[in-house]
Amino acid sequence: MPQPLSAKDGAAFRQVVKLYELKQHKKALKTAEQILKKNPNHGDTLAMKALTLNAQGHTDEAFSLAKLALQQDMKSHICWHVYGLLYRSTKQLDEAIKAYKFALRLEPESAQIQRDLAFLQIQMRDYNGYIESRKAILHARPALRQNWTALAVACHLAGDLSAAEHYLKTYEDTLKQPPPRTDMEHSEASLYRNVLIGEMGEVERALAHLKTISRNNLDRTAVMEMRADYLLRLDRKDEAEEAYRALIVRNNEYRLYYEKLEKVLGLDRENPDDHAELAALYTSFLEGNHRLDAARRIPLDFLRGDEFKTAADKYLRRSLAKGVPSLFPNVKALYSDDFKRTTIQSLVEGYTSETQADGEDMPQHTNGDASSKFVQSRLYFLAQHYNYFRSRNLKKATDFISQALEMDPKSPDYHMTKARILKHLGDVEQAAEVMSFARELDTKDRYINTKCAKYQLRNNDCESALKTMSLFTRNESVGGALGDLHDMQCMWYITEDGEANLRMDKLSLALKRFKCIYDIFDVWQEDQFDFHYFSIRKGQIRAYVDMMRWEDQLRSHPFFTRAALPAIKIYVMLHDNPDLSHGHLANGSIKLEGLDAAERKRALKKAKREQERLEKAEAEKREAEKKQTKKTGTGGDGEPKKEDPDPHGFQLLQTPAPLDEAVKFLTPLLEFAPKNITAQNAGFEVFIRRNKPLLAVKCLRAAKSLDPEDPVVHEQLIRFRRSLDSTSASPIPDKVAQVLKSVSQDLLPDSTSLTAFNDAFMAKHASSAPHVRSGLRARGYLDASSKERNEEELLATLDLVDLSLEDTQAGLELLGEWKSSKAVQDEYLAKAKALWPEATSFKRR
Amino acid sequence: MDIRVMKPSDIPHVQQANITNLPENYFCKYYLYHALTWPQLSYVAVDVSRPPKTPYDPPKIVGYVLAKMEEEPSDGIPHGHITSLSVMRTHRRLGLAEKLMRQSQRAMAETYGAKYVSLHVRVSNTAALHLYRDTLGFNMDKIEAKYYADGEDANCMRMELSHLRFEAEEERKGIKDQDEGDEVGSAGKKDDDKKGKKRRVKVGRVLGVGDLVERNESSAKAG
Ligand SMILES: CC(C)(COP(=O)(O)OP(=O)(O)OC[C@H]1O[C@@H](n2cnc3c(N)ncnc32)[C@H](O)[C@@H]1OP(=O)(O)O)[C@@H](O)C(=O)NCCC(=O)NCCS
Repeated sequence: MPQPLSAKDGAAFRQVVKLYELKQHKKALKTAEQILKKNPNHGDTLAMKALTLNAQGHTDEAFSLAKLALQQDMKSHICWHVYGLLYRSTKQLDEAIKAYKFALRLEPESAQIQRDLAFLQIQMRDYNGYIESRKAILHARPALRQNWTALAVACHLAGDLSAAEHYLKTYEDTLKQPPPRTDMEHSEASLYRNVLIGEMGEVERALAHLKTISRNNLDRTAVMEMRADYLLRLDRKDEAEEAYRALIVRNNEYRLYYEKLEKVLGLDRENPDDHAELAALYTSFLEGNHRLDAARRIPLDFLRGDEFKTAADKYLRRSLAKGVPSLFPNVKALYSDDFKRTTIQSLVEGYTSETQADGEDMPQHTNGDASSKFVQSRLYFLAQHYNYFRSRNLKKATDFISQALEMDPKSPDYHMTKARILKHLGDVEQAAEVMSFARELDTKDRYINTKCAKYQLRNNDCESALKTMSLFTRNESVGGALGDLHDMQCMWYITEDGEANLRMDKLSLALKRFKCIYDIFDVWQEDQFDFHYFSIRKGQIRAYVDMMRWEDQLRSHPFFTRAALPAIKIYVMLHDNPDLSHGHLANGSIKLEGLDAAERKRALKKAKREQERLEKAEAEKREAEKKQTKKTGTGGDGEPKKEDPDPHGFQLLQTPAPLDEAVKFLTPLLEFAPKNITAQNAGFEVFIRRNKPLLAVKCLRAAKSLDPEDPVVHEQLIRFRRSLDSTSASPIPDKVAQVLKSVSQDLLPDSTSLTAFNDAFMAKHASSAPHVRSGLRARGYLDASSKERNEEELLATLDLVDLSLEDTQAGLELLGEWKSSKAVQDEYLAKAKALWPEATSFKRR
Repeated sequence: MDIRVMKPSDIPHVQQANITNLPENYFCKYYLYHALTWPQLSYVAVDVSRPPKTPYDPPKIVGYVLAKMEEEPSDGIPHGHITSLSVMRTHRRLGLAEKLMRQSQRAMAETYGAKYVSLHVRVSNTAALHLYRDTLGFNMDKIEAKYYADGEDANCMRMELSHLRFEAEEERKGIKDQDEGDEVGSAGKKDDDKKGKKRRVKVGRVLGVGDLVERNESSAKAG
């Protein structure tokens, strides 16, 4: 029951609230204690105390106190509100919403609770709830335009476009006088309304409406783009042409405008009859536009045959003469067309005489400088050309880059390319060295510094990489350079560092890094929260809606996929071999293979001791550091930051339920990147181990429909069928079994003999190493006596033409997996070394 | 290479380009803050020639300009500010930075009535100095000692945008389409413009994420 406080205590309570808001937590607590001395069961005070404790980081205590507060006073909206705030702060938004709803029921007039609830609802994408909340907020303050706009946004996001427009219009209709032209909120709201009309497909009306708002609208670019789009969709050719030409005048480096203009003009790149006209169109844009690239480069996309050759010749010579460093990156996309690739190759190879430098609209060069620039650019181009996978000839690439370096031994860019060639030769060690040399040639440029660190990571030299990075990081932040890279969400570094650790079997650190990426995505999701409020007030609605749509698909980003896949792999390994969770085993320093039970026990013990020792040393080091250097204790975001209690990820690795952890990475992958076949492959591995055959087969089916010949799919199919044939081990319910049988029948008919199926697959893909490996693996499952034969055939893959370095390495790993004899492995290694004499990974074996 | 306005979905790779090229870095929310407060001002350069490897490949960003309006200009004059500009080394000297800057500057004048744009640049950064002074026409304003975290001085530079505002105004006058705002009392407004009355855009008055704004600007300074 609510307990009334004395007047004095009531005032003190208000003081507590105020102090809390001012973040004077200690004083707030003290005052609360004073009230509680006299009124120990006062719910609201208990709740405020809980809230304050939570702000100080005592979350558990806060929760139990908040529960106590509720027990004392179930009917207090303050208690419920606090409960909601606690859940909000621990990111349990579902629970927070429930608590807020209780609070609101008790205090329906509270604008603050209503608003807080609304933001939680939209953060959780509870559209219906959000619309209700928005209606209530609007009802309370209908004079405020942003409340109308917000309701419109709610309807829009929920898919009800006409309601959305209705609310915008309703507000507009109340305007007795048009707002001044500089009113950004009005400008945006009317443009937003126009977007809605357009999205509803009412193009005619959208155009008419746009007309009424275009003159005074503040976002000219958007107005012009939308108008052009409507005109094109309405097939009003003349006006559309004019509109797109006007856009090109404003920004002549945006392909979308050119493509639409082509469409307006009825020109078709696929139709050779149109090529002359298209070429003329693009030429017409060049006049007086020395710095324009798009109109020069686009025709190379569609021209063919001799026309292509002439145009490419002009383009290449011009860029080479100017010494444009990005020429190769800019044309390599053409290489998917064999003719274009070979044409470019023979053109540039042919530019041997210095007079070639006279490109289109270039001043005539007679001095030696210009022609030597041309010669160098040509060499640089050819080095990149022969280093590119579609035109790879690493010997030639090496040759050309050496010539370029002879002419300019101090060029950072040439050294960077040299490093890249070395990387492709497999010599990651020397590649890192050369990149480091390049870095020293231009120490002010962070780009080279970045590349250098990346190459050091590729060489598994994490320590040097971090040192390199630290030349540009804020090293005074908590955790030093690495801490800063985390604060600044340097995804590439964290991911590459994880991958390097994984290559070195340092599972705990690898996992640590991948988990960090996972956490950053959580932060990115959380980041939108403030904008539910902020954007509506600012009135930049279209940008807000864009953000919401991006956030909805956030984890489809390759940054997520790239970290999630190896994380899942590690968790699966941990499930298969729990011993790995002892950090030091996982760090590759102790091997258990071939040990008897007693030896094993001893080795495990030793690993554990070693790990404890390390952890202790680490803790001491941290303590010492803390005392020695007075760190600011804040991260790059200025927030107070705690030391990471598990910097090596040992605790992470010791998870009792690795597959549960794997699922946390897997679920978003399957939801947001279902067309990623590797994700489906990973899904199969996780679900089959979790005894979820239906889910496993779902992944298998999805993967098979993406690529029926995928080597992993092949192997998984066979494993799946075999597991069905031997289900006696793990009984599954009849119904499930039935479904499984029919699904598996679809995937691979019962009548097919697995051996025949596998043989056919291998015959079909005999020249592809990944497929051969998959077939051999499968044969290993099907026929335990096939090992010797499999090894022989795996060795034979080394004779395949154009075998990649990755495939060569994967073969060796497979031998390890099969526990093949040293003799066999040595034979393979010797052949691999002959194929890749520079490759670091074989040298180090 | 396309030049187009930055969208929220570009942010991960803009952030990546920034931390690859420059020592002054920001977390995602700070980019969001730019993109959602002045969505017209930030631009990206995109390598469109690269065929995507998966359906989820985001556009390959090779350069960006992150720009804003000064929230509370100390001189009371609305003006823009370049928070960060960089181009990947593999794509430099193609004119990308110049084009990014020009698009952003025009939007500042057109959308927010900016009178000028300002920026900071390291005194040792000759490439950027060339770009700003010789190619774009910025003037030296002053030197700010020890502006950067490592103790380097900054050149404060600025450029008048009156020509862009004039162009925008001319263009606007040329639009014949009737406008609801003009039907009522359009004469009075035009007068305002002639007198050069300050165009007040409602930006910076209501700061929802005020904390964010201040905190970031002190923690990481612009390039
Ligand atoms: C500064 C930077 C953004 C320039 O980008 P860019 O796309 O190469 O520049 P542009 O091609 O648009 O150059 C335009 C003009 O700027 C000048 N310029 C650019 N780079 C130059 C250099 N390295 N040396 C001298 N002048 C240079 C030139 O006048 C050039 O015109 P030109 O090529 O016709 O001679 C780029 O070098 C970069 O990202 N550097 C690292 C990050 C950085 O310093 N950012 C600026 C922080 S304030």
